[in-house]
Amino acid sequence: MTGKAAIVHDTALESYGFGGEHPFNPLRLRLTLELCENMGLLEDYPLTPSEPATVRDLTTVHNLTYVRMVQEAGRGSALLSDLLNYGIGTGDNPVFPDMHAACARVVGGVLEACRVVMRGDAAHAMCISGGLHHALRSQASGFCVYNDAGVAIARLKEERPGIRIAYVDTDAHHGDGVQWMFFEDPDVLTVSMHESGRYLFPGTGEVHEKGSGEGVGYSVNVPLQPFTDDDSFISTFEAVVPEALRAFKPDLILSQNGCDAHKLDPLTHLSATTRLYEHVPAAIHDLAHELCGGRWVATGGGGYDIWRVVPRAWTALWAAVSHQELPEKLPEVWLEKWGAKSPVGLPRLMRDDPADYPAGPRAREISDRNKRTAEEVLEKVLPLIR
Amino acid sequence: MLQVKDSMAREVATLSPGDTAGEALALCRERRIRHLPVLDGGSLVGIVSDRDLRSATPAFGDSARAAALAEVRVGDVMVREVVTARPDDPIDAAANTMREKKINGLPVLEEGELVGILTSSDVMESLVYLLGAHEPGSRMEVVVPDRPGTLAGVAGLIGELGVNIVSVVTGPRLEGEPPSRVAVFRVDTINPAHAADVLEKADYTVLWPPRP
Repeated sequence: MTGKAAIVHDTALESYGFGGEHPFNPLRLRLTLELCENMGLLEDYPLTPSEPATVRDLTTVHNLTYVRMVQEAGRGSALLSDLLNYGIGTGDNPVFPDMHAACARVVGGVLEACRVVMRGDAAHAMCISGGLHHALRSQASGFCVYNDAGVAIARLKEERPGIRIAYVDTDAHHGDGVQWMFFEDPDVLTVSMHESGRYLFPGTGEVHEKGSGEGVGYSVNVPLQPFTDDDSFISTFEAVVPEALRAFKPDLILSQNGCDAHKLDPLTHLSATTRLYEHVPAAIHDLAHELCGGRWVATGGGGYDIWRVVPRAWTALWAAVSHQELPEKLPEVWLEKWGAKSPVGLPRLMRDDPADYPAGPRAREISDRNKRTAEEVLEKVLPLIR
Repeated sequence: MLQVKDSMAREVATLSPGDTAGEALALCRERRIRHLPVLDGGSLVGIVSDRDLRSATPAFGDSARAAALAEVRVGDVMVREVVTARPDDPIDAAANTMREKKINGLPVLEEGELVGILTSSDVMESLVYLLGAHEPGSRMEVVVPDRPGTLAGVAGLIGELGVNIVSVVTGPRLEGEPPSRVAVFRVDTINPAHAADVLEKADYTVLWPPRP
């Protein structure tokens, strides 16, 4: 059975960005929302507003000194040499005005999405500005200042003692920040599928990182070979994720739906297409209904081809969250408005044509390797989940 | 030095499953090697070490030794689940595999064909160049002309982007003229593509990340 869906968004969430030529560009949110809107996918779904996360919320996982540092950075009153110790003011995470407020809003959005679902106001909720999975306890990392999923999970654990939350991350980069925050926690299962850290930031996410102490077995990592395509990504996902979630029996699934595994993404070396971005949400949706009464919150994440990939991938995500048919074509009004501004030609169809994405020369070998990785996870990590 | 193919032995002594333990040990002695891949019809079906062969046969001086050396077949004592490497695997990845699996020899396969073998002694030599690979960051491989100041030039361009260099190791590049080195940087950025663009504009060749 399916239930009602909520989309948590307001334009204030589009102020999280680093400006200029920085690849993390909040325009991707605008492009996505207008695409959803132009397709009529928001007609029955008014945007749910949210409040910024409080310092109290943030310090469930972040160090207070770090939060103070972000506040000072956004006011322009901190020394760069101090900020650098916290990962702020670097090429990846430059200072921008009012950065604390913008970052706290993103966390608040995801927190609200989780609360909407846990209250039962909606079965599923989406907040595409979330997904900042690299942020560490006392350090900004990889475009991420505050860790929205980390805060939301920690806060829900306070509000609903005993809750079990499964975090499923299919961004091309390892979900390191969330993993480390709950590395010793058997009530939080983190599953991350990503391009192997041997080739991609942040460098972690090997199978042997499986949690520690009480949490051994509750950090699941599936590192994929560079140039992994849809077929191999999907079969690896299907081999690992359903079994992990069934073993864990969550009360809520929180998914990080970064779409930077797409072949066109400039920051990574995977070779997925829009097929992956229809498959993953559909699979998680079904698992949510099978395991936890449909309770599912979806966030965004990475995605740096903001014109050709992100709007289509996250519109497909919304279609899955809200049980709506995904139209075949992009609406003319959207293409006209944004075609004039895009530096690249825009696709006219929502689904990539497989003919444009032929198998790479080493596809078989890559797929074999990923299969072996999945087998290793099934053998060495999943049996530890209770 | 940085990839398996740069350090592996290309002339590999191999056995067939039907060879005897005696023949295998003779080959080890003659070539002064310890690891012998086993091929059947051109495919890798196992690997056997001198230690496997010795423990499968009676010790020197035992009267049963001669008979056993002629009777025991390689196919009976070989390890069938062979851990392998590929020629373009980073040497540090291969080293980690050997450490984890507690093995000292990795047959190297390219499209299913045995093209070399990498042993722990091969890795030791390369490994000293590759410290710091487990620090968080992105990997970048840049060809630097073998001249004074070029590494500093690359590092300076990366530094100007506000990107911290976590570690750097260099090794000679075995192809191309004039002689050059490959510098492997571990940089504290999620976006090494940007640094790669800047370096290519300054006429450096970037081997990883791949350029469009």
